[in-house]
Amino acid sequence: METKINIEARECGAENDPPTIPKRRQELLKWNGWGYSDSKFIVNKDKHVEFTGERYQLSGHTMPQLRDWMMNTIGINLDHRTPAQPSFTAADTPTPIKNESFIMDMRRTGISLSDDCQDRLFRAHGHTLHEIFVLREGRFDRIPDLVIWPTCHNDVVKIVELACRHNVVIIPFGGGTSVSSALECPANETRMIVSLDTSQMNKILWVDDKNMTAHCEAGIIGQDLERWLAKKGFCTGHEPDSMEFSSLGGWVATRASGMKKNIYGNIEDLIVHIKFVTPLGVMEKNCQVPRISSGPDIHHFMMGSEGILGVVTEVTMKIRPLPECKKYGSIVFPDFESGVKCLREIAKQRCAPASIRLMDNEQFQFGHALKPESGTIFSSFVDGLKKFYITKIKGFDPHTLAVATLLFEGKKQEVAAMEKRVYEIASKFGGLAAGAENGERGYMLTFVIAYLRDLGFDYYIVAESFETSVPWDRCLELCKNVKDRLHRECKERGIQFPPYITCRVTQTYDAGACVYFYFGFNYRGISNPVQVYEDIENCAREEILANGGSISHHHGVGKIRKRYLRQTVGDVGLGTLRAIKEYLDPHNIFGANNCMVGDPEDDRKVHNVPKKAFPQSKL
Amino acid sequence: MKSLIFRGRLFLTGLHTYRFTAAVLTRCERTNRSHGEQHDCCPQTSLTGGTLEFDPRALIYFSRSSRLLHTSATTPKMSEQSRNSWIKKDDPKLVSAKQKDFFVDMLDDRRHASDFHYSTRVRDVTTYKYNKPRSPKDIKDHVMQSDRVKYAVEKVMEESGLPLEEVMKQTQAILDEMAHNLRIGVIRCFAFFLVKVMKKLFQRIYINEEGVQKVRSLLKEYPILLMPSHRSYLDFLLMSYVFYEFDLPLPVIAAAMDFMGMRFFGWLLRNSGAFYIRRSFGDDMLYWAVFTEYIQTQICNGDSPVEFFVEGTRSRTSKSYAPKFGMLSAALEPYFKAQVPDIMIVPVSISYDKILEEKLYAYELLGVPKPKESASGLFKARNILKEDFGNVHIYLGEPVSIRQYSVTGNLDRSVHSLAPRYIVSLSDQEQHLIRHLSYDMVIQQQKHMVISPFAMIAAVLLQNREGIHLRNLVREVEWLKRQSSNLGAYIDWPVSETPETVLRASVSHHGNIVQITADDMVELIVEDPTITSNQDKLMTSGAQQLMLCLYKNQLMHIFVDVAMIAISINSCAQDTLHIEELKKHYKFLERLLNIDFIFLPGNTDKDFEQAMLVLTHTCGVVVENSHVQIRKSTNKYTTFFSQMFDPFLLGYWIMCRCLKSMQTGAHGKPLAKPPKVITKEAQNLSATLLRMGAFKHMEVLSLDMMNNGLQSLYHMGAVQKDKREGNTYMYPNEVVLSQIMDELSKFVDVPNIPATSINVETKTVVINAKL
Ligand SMILES: Cc1cc2nc3c(=O)[nH]c(=O)nc-3n(C[C@H](O)[C@H](O)[C@H](O)COP(=O)(O)OP(=O)(O)OC[C@H]3O[C@@H](n4cnc5c(N)ncnc54)[C@H](O)[C@@H]3O)c2cc1C
Repeated sequence: METKINIEARECGAENDPPTIPKRRQELLKWNGWGYSDSKFIVNKDKHVEFTGERYQLSGHTMPQLRDWMMNTIGINLDHRTPAQPSFTAADTPTPIKNESFIMDMRRTGISLSDDCQDRLFRAHGHTLHEIFVLREGRFDRIPDLVIWPTCHNDVVKIVELACRHNVVIIPFGGGTSVSSALECPANETRMIVSLDTSQMNKILWVDDKNMTAHCEAGIIGQDLERWLAKKGFCTGHEPDSMEFSSLGGWVATRASGMKKNIYGNIEDLIVHIKFVTPLGVMEKNCQVPRISSGPDIHHFMMGSEGILGVVTEVTMKIRPLPECKKYGSIVFPDFESGVKCLREIAKQRCAPASIRLMDNEQFQFGHALKPESGTIFSSFVDGLKKFYITKIKGFDPHTLAVATLLFEGKKQEVAAMEKRVYEIASKFGGLAAGAENGERGYMLTFVIAYLRDLGFDYYIVAESFETSVPWDRCLELCKNVKDRLHRECKERGIQFPPYITCRVTQTYDAGACVYFYFGFNYRGISNPVQVYEDIENCAREEILANGGSISHHHGVGKIRKRYLRQTVGDVGLGTLRAIKEYLDPHNIFGANNCMVGDPEDDRKVHNVPKKAFPQSKL
Repeated sequence: MKSLIFRGRLFLTGLHTYRFTAAVLTRCERTNRSHGEQHDCCPQTSLTGGTLEFDPRALIYFSRSSRLLHTSATTPKMSEQSRNSWIKKDDPKLVSAKQKDFFVDMLDDRRHASDFHYSTRVRDVTTYKYNKPRSPKDIKDHVMQSDRVKYAVEKVMEESGLPLEEVMKQTQAILDEMAHNLRIGVIRCFAFFLVKVMKKLFQRIYINEEGVQKVRSLLKEYPILLMPSHRSYLDFLLMSYVFYEFDLPLPVIAAAMDFMGMRFFGWLLRNSGAFYIRRSFGDDMLYWAVFTEYIQTQICNGDSPVEFFVEGTRSRTSKSYAPKFGMLSAALEPYFKAQVPDIMIVPVSISYDKILEEKLYAYELLGVPKPKESASGLFKARNILKEDFGNVHIYLGEPVSIRQYSVTGNLDRSVHSLAPRYIVSLSDQEQHLIRHLSYDMVIQQQKHMVISPFAMIAAVLLQNREGIHLRNLVREVEWLKRQSSNLGAYIDWPVSETPETVLRASVSHHGNIVQITADDMVELIVEDPTITSNQDKLMTSGAQQLMLCLYKNQLMHIFVDVAMIAISINSCAQDTLHIEELKKHYKFLERLLNIDFIFLPGNTDKDFEQAMLVLTHTCGVVVENSHVQIRKSTNKYTTFFSQMFDPFLLGYWIMCRCLKSMQTGAHGKPLAKPPKVITKEAQNLSATLLRMGAFKHMEVLSLDMMNNGLQSLYHMGAVQKDKREGNTYMYPNEVVLSQIMDELSKFVDVPNIPATSINVETKTVVINAKL
């Protein structure tokens, strides 16, 4: 079948502020871990855990309890280290496959490109456990052969046109925070692979305060978007935990969800218009309306397309005035169950604050271990908490209690009213208000945990998070059963140390909730930790599905959850999705093979960590 | 038992090389301490026609090697024993009776300590890790407020138009009738009383302690289902007793309604954890909802281990009854609907030397009205407490995780995600799995049943109904014992005694059924001396024989597979029989015996192969070029095995014969009758034929056998069913029926009665033998 290309190219607009993350990401970011190079957890000379840098509240502080927590909960031994391989050199990267005629045509367009091995490596992966582990211990069999930085919609049109003409694979790259292996290059791809890095398409093209919308290029990252809008007194309110690095296009392509969705909505609620470049041409609607009945919504092919149908280039998003007041809060419950019941009730009464999350006891303990040394901004809180324990929580068992963290936003009176209502409901479920700092620290935990994982890697720990959505009536049992399954699978596989398993309810909806798990274990004595981890996570996913949970709430399918897609949408559903792909991209130019494309088993061998056969689950 | 994995190539008969599989070996290995000398008496002693070419050395070889692994359990030979000072009693024949193989006697300690102390001691029980402590009242409240019950109440209101209060009242009544009221105070009294009774009734109560430990370690992790075999009322008392003794949480027990009627006893049981389930509640929605919720909430919260009898009711025949699925489905549903991480199912085998209700059962089987069960009936009648019921063996089997069990089935539990859990029902796949599991559990129960010497005496005696000399009996029983243990049975045989002593003791223990005459003839007591009234002689002596059958039946499951092959070999008129033909017969017989015996669904081919292996390796069956050599293979083994099952085939034939003569109605279709009526008529026919002396197997008087035959015939399409005004009616399908009868008469000698001459309508069947 011949592809008809009828893409019209236009000139690009003027330059804007440069993006916070530079083109050469390696100058600012870690090459084999999470986040900024200057920020990391280290064990300092006093053998205490310290967070370096100056960016975050925790930066420059030591956390005196964290070391013991790590030693006691997950069996870290400071003498047993597993440092990462020193660096990745050109020799470690596979030689690029070059489609010379494509490169020649590309050069003629004047669009910036690079085949530098560092540039390529940086765009070869997201942040799943196995990707990071490959960076630390192994090497990729396949990485992009070329990186291209379009600066506007028209650049993208040109690139797609040329790629189609020369049969070159495109993998769009936003912020690189994918946690579904969506960015990984299929190992068996023999064509040239281009990473289309949208980071230079980072302009806010216009802001419309009549309709309260902003029109932005898709490569803008969360922190820039919010910072720049704030200057004008607006925000989108979309705050995924990865917002420092993830991009608007990435959010659309993965159906992302932000922490404050209760007020602002998830990405699908925030989108008014999307411009989408496919091999067949540009797909977009002709109007920017709040709602439309025009048959199945084409936005829904773009959202969650995971880079396999085309490139999101521009997006019109809803904006809101900056909130007047922002307030943290927390509630302590005697146990997780009463917490879930309370969240359910709050959802039922539709009075959830901007964010409400319920941490189980393990996570609460973990949060505790993150307390910095006294004499810091947190000291008052620590004392307060202690007192709080002795007086109010007496009767609460510190080994069963659960904590909800809250974030209120809005006008002052609104916030006050909302607080009152939420705490009232909480008290019906045995919940006690436990202070703002406690809440704030809860949110901090979710930001630092990605950094903390890198420290774990140095000490025989493999860890990862996964999430799901579930109807309310199955929420509790899902948490319980998944944890039980994880414990059991660990035991079954001879993992010698107690694994760390914890969950929280991170979002509430009318009909259900989003549940987020952390799972990690000490792999001393195990020869293939990543494989073991993945096998166990798959068991957990099976358990989730059996418990009425979903394939994913917001991380997406990518490659690692492909095997559950058929079960999720059925044969007809899968066929329909495949038909869309077949129509839009018959030559598989957007060839990352995510989601519905290809057989789940095809892309398994993407990384090259020494592997040993490990028994499949018997449970 | 240690698994002795050991594959050897052995040269048995002449030119045939056989591969011994581990399965067969494990069986050899199971020859426990009780048959130290078994290999000294070779099967040659009892060969028929000298056709058997079997080298017993093969067996000896294996027994020896396994014995070495079992030095602790076997009696050491003098020469092997060192004579140093740590040996306290230098008597190789001394065997601890408290400790026996993997069994330990629970009563032993109780006989040496105060019962009061025992019943008041501190019990430190483990509980399920997700358990939230609840009282029986809390559980009931939960049920009343549950979604499931609310949903059912609404439905019933819609359908019946009754007001809410009325339906709630009904619901409460159902629940009150059902619910247990487990209370530790009552338990303690009960324990006090129970241990006294147990000590009176039994010499020893053996339990495999390892099984107890397994249950203990699982209790914390997962909800537990206990599935004991059901041969006696005492089963659940014994179970509770075990759990009390070992400081385990007391089980709650699904009991049949019959008990509830007993005043004190009913109360006592309810307060010690029994809950009452109606035998059948069809499509009574309220009852279903209450029942399901009641069971499931206790499983989900792991309040107590839940105990029920998968056979549904006490087996009156000592054979396992075909499993019922309802209770197990309800109990396992929480796993399929992901309300619990897993559920552990523990099969339990309870074997009695002598069954408390033996006589009661015999009359029930004959159809003499069952006396209403009352506490006094149970414990006072016949001075039961003065009688000796020997030993009980309780074996807690390997717990089965439903999660692991369903892995192979590739079940997708997410199918239940599309409706609230209290509405959706189990998928076909899940039901299929539960069916399979139920059978599996019954087979597990059977596997760990302990065979008493009397079972073998009974089996031999039933093939020598005129009596047998003690000397011959010893020989025959020893032979049978060897066959049984080769097939994996555990036999309770005191190794320190001579076989003759064992048999004498055993016979006198069952002095109401068998006796030894002055000249050492062992025979069945044909007339029950305690019966004075002028009852039907046939029935009273039938009862005696049925009691004997009760014990013989302990053995049947061990032999059924090999027997189904032996039957076709023994009845074969040609010189050779092709394996495939044999397998066809086997399948036919399996379908026919499918209610009376337990076969794992879908396992027929494997069972057949296994049985063939046994027959060719240890029972002298000769196969050449896929053909069984009939002359060579017809021997003592095949004869004995097939004769064991003659009564069943004969019984089924009688059932067929009876169906055949059912009168044709106006439209040329046989008049349908309720199954009960048909079985009764078939029994009448049996009685007539017995009176005529057509055969001697009085087991065919059993209504149970007749009913099972009828059900089998129904499953095979020889009988059809109608529902009329809610009741089942049956009528024959002539074509299929005739085919089955023809087949049957190939396998067993049947009386020659002309087809048209039976009138089953009249109470007593008249046979006009015109020929
Ligand atoms: C620590 C951490 C916290 C996270 N927290 C959240 C959270 O709270 N909520 C949430 O929803 N997710 C979260 N994620 C997941 C991740 O941040 C999201 O999936 C995010 O939307 C990815 O955006 P990105 O720009 O980094 O996309 P990338 O990782 O670069 O790409 C993701 C996928 O989208 C495609 N893609 C990217 N840009 C485009 C484009 N312009 N056009 C077409 N396809 C494109 C890529 O090809 C790829 O398939 C988190 C991840 C991490 C590591």
